[in-house]
Amino acid sequence: MPSVIYHPAYRNYSFGEQHSFSPLRVDIMLDLLESLGHRVETIEPEPATRQDILGVHSDYYVRRVETLSAGGDVPDCADYGLGTPDNPIFPGMDEAARWLVGGALHGARLIWEKGEKRVLQLGGGLHHALRNIASGFCIYNDLAIAINWLTGHGLWVAYIDIDVHHGDGVQQILYDDKRVMTISFHESGQYLFPGTGEIHELGSGAGRGLKLNVPLEPFTEGESYLEVFDQVVPAALRQFRPGVLVVQAGADAHFADPLADLMLATRDYEAIFRRILGWADEFTAGRVLFTLGGGYSFSAAARVWALLYLLIHDLPLPTDLPEVWRSRWSRIFDGQPPAALHDPNPGHAEIPNREEIAHRNRQVAKRLLEAASHYWF
Amino acid sequence: MLVRDIMSSPAVSIPPAMTLEDAYRMMQQKGIRHLPVLDEGRLVGVITDRDLRLATSTFVRSPLSLQGRVSEVMCGEPMTAEAGDPVEDVAFRMRERKIGCLPVMDDGQLIGIVTGVDLLDALLRMTGVNKPSGRLEVRLPDHPGELARLTSFLSHRNLNVHSILTYPEGRDSTRTVLRIGSIETRALANDLRRADFEVLWPPEKPCPR
Repeated sequence: MPSVIYHPAYRNYSFGEQHSFSPLRVDIMLDLLESLGHRVETIEPEPATRQDILGVHSDYYVRRVETLSAGGDVPDCADYGLGTPDNPIFPGMDEAARWLVGGALHGARLIWEKGEKRVLQLGGGLHHALRNIASGFCIYNDLAIAINWLTGHGLWVAYIDIDVHHGDGVQQILYDDKRVMTISFHESGQYLFPGTGEIHELGSGAGRGLKLNVPLEPFTEGESYLEVFDQVVPAALRQFRPGVLVVQAGADAHFADPLADLMLATRDYEAIFRRILGWADEFTAGRVLFTLGGGYSFSAAARVWALLYLLIHDLPLPTDLPEVWRSRWSRIFDGQPPAALHDPNPGHAEIPNREEIAHRNRQVAKRLLEAASHYWF
Repeated sequence: MLVRDIMSSPAVSIPPAMTLEDAYRMMQQKGIRHLPVLDEGRLVGVITDRDLRLATSTFVRSPLSLQGRVSEVMCGEPMTAEAGDPVEDVAFRMRERKIGCLPVMDDGQLIGIVTGVDLLDALLRMTGVNKPSGRLEVRLPDHPGELARLTSFLSHRNLNVHSILTYPEGRDSTRTVLRIGSIETRALANDLRRADFEVLWPPEKPCPR
């Protein structure tokens, strides 16, 4: 049985009603699953301790988060990415962020201590948090902390990041770690936040050749995405032979996402998740820990993550979505709730230079593999 | 950005009496292509790997042997730069004269060297990404106050600008590329459009059907 980790306290990780990173996304997704007749059984984690956080973040950074969290004043907070338009201060932010880290850590423990195979953490995926800087809605790097826990217990980790933004924090924190391979697929930093994730960012020291980035052209569609996904991931996993996969399953590469410019449809996400589960079976004896991540279209995120839940549990995929759910969240969907689990086909206007985009992505993946494999053999 | 910000300092230099063979070996060893030539502390020339190879090549009527001297091949009275020169000034002079380096002088003393590759590095630094940021590209009318209108729009939203690059486009407009310390560049672009800015990136997404 797959394990699903969730705690109502995750809802407290909220930067305010107008902010993109809304806890409603998970509420809507859970309600969709319940409305479809699934009883979602969740395991409740403990929040991470201060000591857990200090495994990755510096004391002086954590102290500032704590002070702001308790309503105190930190004059230089903007230097640490705190109190900016992206990462506003909110009361209890330290504890709220520690809950999400605790969930990821609990997932790691279930895999190592209880021999669980498929674990889904319904939150987190805060891949932008750097050692000492909050960035892109991320305060503490739950992923890096959970990955360190796994490697500390002897499991080598392949981290796959399908969020539309580069997984810069995870990459940077683990840049020289030979026990961790990171593979990030994202819209090119030339165009999208955070600006990094070029193919030449290959890791340093003993970790050289183990940090892989596939920067994709804006308006990349599913067919091209899956082509480079297949080109890069199995080759990398075959080389690295990880003990477990950790997957940041951001849903913001969807064409309806308001923050970014990739054009995946729900069917593409289905294909991505099926591949990842297949690779887990092939390379890591089925062991895989998923977290959520970005995903700022309520309609897309709720459906992509419901899809992930259903696939992890080997449950059949519904075609139509329940009326009760559609009407309950109608206002959130601007009066146009999605009628079906999958997007209509085609879901968006035609992309004029589709061939050129696919060609460039293919070239980038090829150059990446040429550069990385230099360190592999 | 000034020459002192991008130059290599101190510069590796050689005496005019050095043999061509030794000069070439020095370049190989240090991984460089340009050597200022100093005679008792005074700059008397510059020699490049291209000078060396041409001087000893059968392409020339009477090639020198490897035991020839640097003073026979070097370019005398080279153009120089000063540490306080603006980078664009140096780039212009190097481009105009088609030369690959300028020795950097201070009060008659050689203190460094700036090469075409250093200028490329400067370009990377000016356009590069060293902090998490998103791209914003705006076409502005080429009028006084337009850039200020854009930057004050950003400052009112408490948004940090990490870098800004502006260049002329056609007769009447400039293109301005900014890196903004925010993940929310599309929301920002939409607001800028509402305030009558012509935003080129991020574009409006192809509409969902």
